[in-house]
Amino acid sequence: MILLTIENIKKTFANGKSEILVLDEVSFSIGDEEFVCLVGPSGCGKSTLLRIISGLEKADSGRILFQGQPVTHPIPQISMVFQLFGLLPWKTALENVELPMEVLGVKKEDRARTAQDYLKMVQLDGFENTYPHDLSGGMKQRVGIARALALRPVILLMDEPFSSLDELTAKTLRELTLNIWRDPSAPPNSTIMVSHNVEEAVYMADRVLVMAPRPGRLVGEVKIDIPRPRSQYVRESIYFNHVDEVMAMLEKGKKLSDQEANPSYK
Amino acid sequence: MVLCVLIFIVDGFVTENRCFSCCWRFLVDQLDLNRPTAFLFFTFIQKWGTDLKKYIASFVGGLIVLCVMGWLIMTKSLNPEAANLPLYTFSTISRIVITLIISIAWGVSFGILAATNRIASMVLTPFIDLLQSIPILGYFPMVIGFLFLLGPWGIELSVIILLFTSMAWAIFFGVLGAVKSIPTNVVESAKGFGVSGWRYVRHIILPAIAPTVVAGANLAWCDGWFFMIAAEYIQYEGKVVSPPSGGLGYLLARASYFYEDMPFAIMLLIFITFIVVYFNILTWHQLMERANTGTYKPIIRMDLSGVGKIGVARSVQWFHFGSIHWPKSFSIVSQSLRKYSKVEKVTAVILAFAAVFIVLYLQSDHLPSLEMIQQGFTSPPADELSRLPVLIFLTMSRLTIAYVISLVVAIGLGVLAAEHKRLATIIYPIYDIGQGVPILALFPVMFLGLNGVFGSPQVALELTCITMLVLDMIWYMFLNIVSATKNIPTEINEMAELFGFKGFKRVTHIVIPFILPSIVTGSILSWGTGWNTIIFAEYMPSSDPSIPPLSIPGIGSLLDKAGYQFGNTVVLVFILGVIATIVLSMEGFIWRRLLRKFERYHLEV
Repeated sequence: MILLTIENIKKTFANGKSEILVLDEVSFSIGDEEFVCLVGPSGCGKSTLLRIISGLEKADSGRILFQGQPVTHPIPQISMVFQLFGLLPWKTALENVELPMEVLGVKKEDRARTAQDYLKMVQLDGFENTYPHDLSGGMKQRVGIARALALRPVILLMDEPFSSLDELTAKTLRELTLNIWRDPSAPPNSTIMVSHNVEEAVYMADRVLVMAPRPGRLVGEVKIDIPRPRSQYVRESIYFNHVDEVMAMLEKGKKLSDQEANPSYK
Repeated sequence: MVLCVLIFIVDGFVTENRCFSCCWRFLVDQLDLNRPTAFLFFTFIQKWGTDLKKYIASFVGGLIVLCVMGWLIMTKSLNPEAANLPLYTFSTISRIVITLIISIAWGVSFGILAATNRIASMVLTPFIDLLQSIPILGYFPMVIGFLFLLGPWGIELSVIILLFTSMAWAIFFGVLGAVKSIPTNVVESAKGFGVSGWRYVRHIILPAIAPTVVAGANLAWCDGWFFMIAAEYIQYEGKVVSPPSGGLGYLLARASYFYEDMPFAIMLLIFITFIVVYFNILTWHQLMERANTGTYKPIIRMDLSGVGKIGVARSVQWFHFGSIHWPKSFSIVSQSLRKYSKVEKVTAVILAFAAVFIVLYLQSDHLPSLEMIQQGFTSPPADELSRLPVLIFLTMSRLTIAYVISLVVAIGLGVLAAEHKRLATIIYPIYDIGQGVPILALFPVMFLGLNGVFGSPQVALELTCITMLVLDMIWYMFLNIVSATKNIPTEINEMAELFGFKGFKRVTHIVIPFILPSIVTGSILSWGTGWNTIIFAEYMPSSDPSIPPLSIPGIGSLLDKAGYQFGNTVVLVFILGVIATIVLSMEGFIWRRLLRKFERYHLEV
């Protein structure tokens, strides 16, 4: 079953007088219970694409269909985790998780209880009344994840969620994210994650979509058919073969872009 | 009609004339001996030919408008002193320019000294901090010595000294902060390559502080115009001592206080405002744009009062509206709240006492004694000291009313300006020109107008006082609020949009909490400038020496009486001390606590 369709997305940014094509005719779709990673070099428009999917930005042409309905503005069914967390520093961890429910007008006791549950899910019970200022980076991102889950989204968007964390913390949070995603009782159904870390993408995703820059576009996709949980395979060739495949595709895309920018380039 | 021409010309300035900035680069690069200046001059003419034409056009156009306005004022006015306008304009401008040059030279050299030498820093910084917090009137006793010793030149000299005391500090503290904020990697690499001494100053320090010097000089320039009316209209024991070459501030004060000639005063005020805006657009905007590029840090340096600081907080700041260079308001404030050690505080206090001592000695020609102090406390206006608590209460109420008004208006306008692009295009130009109006010069004009409306000088003065305070306080609040609102990180904005915060909900849940620390900063600056202004705003010099001047009860007017009317230095120093105590305790009990409370609002990204 297809949950989300991305159709011929095109996006340009104005840069002074000239225009830069950021995304050129990007199309793909996301199925039910799927974990998809977008990888690509910086400047390939992967974050912009994620923002278009969430409804934060508008595409110049093309459309996003969520369960057949076009997405034109942010909806509760699609939620997002930010790279730099986006927590409000003057609210406690619990209040930050409550925030999206507050806008929807959920009653104080109900939203506190729900927020409590999700903080527990990200293993942050005991830190409800702590302010972001006093939380470590990993804990902040846990709050960010709990907040994104609080509205029980169908699709979770993650914008380089682990790239501002140290490797050990990132590893723990990757496991946590996968566990929550695989838990049938917990949201979300599907996850789209933007990453520039190929190993991370191969470790987590069912499919890795590879993008190339100038203009941003899809150059291919790699199906990752490593059985889950994957922690037992990270030292085996089945894992490295996938990593190599994605790397090769990235390099091919870069070469393509360089050639287009400068035809004499070999 | 005149307004149309004005708008046209101002617009002409604003629509970019890069030729001045080119001139700037020309000057900067000329220091670099490797590059042939002739070549630069050539490209300058060639590349910016059209801009040069535009620039010359706006330069000449503005000059023509100035001349026409001057001519109109001279011919249409019945005021006998109007004929002196060209001389007065010239003398005021040259006076401010001379003071500016002295201030820059002093500020840059002492700033670099204090920033690079530990002992110099320990002695200079707290003492200068103390000096800068003294309102212009506090320096009054000092200049009286010159006034009578040196004849006409003495008067000119005292005007320049008074102006210096309101212009120089911003540059000093700007330079101090800028030198200290040169990134460590730059300092270390310079040391690693053996760059030291003059070379270090020339290649590392000077380029790094250029934007701050320009910003500080601009602030000093505006301050100069602000205080010009106070500096050029010196009163002593009820008599007006005018500088021999006159001045616009003197002329305006005469027109309002002596002749009560309202139309003339208004024309003069427009004339002065135009000069300020003209120079702002013609030079400062260009200079700043130029100086801003190619330096290590964002353009804003803000210096706030610290624990050991007495009195008025000041800021060196330049916000480039519409560009990306918005300061990280809170981090900058918390970093530059100056803190002094006990040794530094004691040194500053000792130096201050020594200074008071010397001034008293110069004035009376013999060493200050207990007798003298006793005499000071028994002669007028010492009799009013018994009512001191009431006077403090009245002044504080005026300040509070003005503060609340400016707070509400600034939050409304600031948030709107930052959130709506279209409104911003209306509000920013108002800000730009409004900032150029020398508010102190507005004072007599406004008083005359309100007096005409209400027919009661007391009511008129009360209203004028509060209006002046609001006009003065609101800029700092507005500036801080706009910059903070613009500074909300992208992630927070995206998060807010994603979860559906819109309109009013966005303002109450996201914007207001985010700008609270900046509101505190703005408040500190506003109160600082408010204390400086209220000293002039509670007191109206009289036209006739035989009539006592008009004043509304308050600690500010008491200070004026001690300074202007009775020349009672002892009481003057005493009241300055009282004001300092109030300002210090407000800082300790309110502002510092609030800032600490908002520390957790600080986003570390």
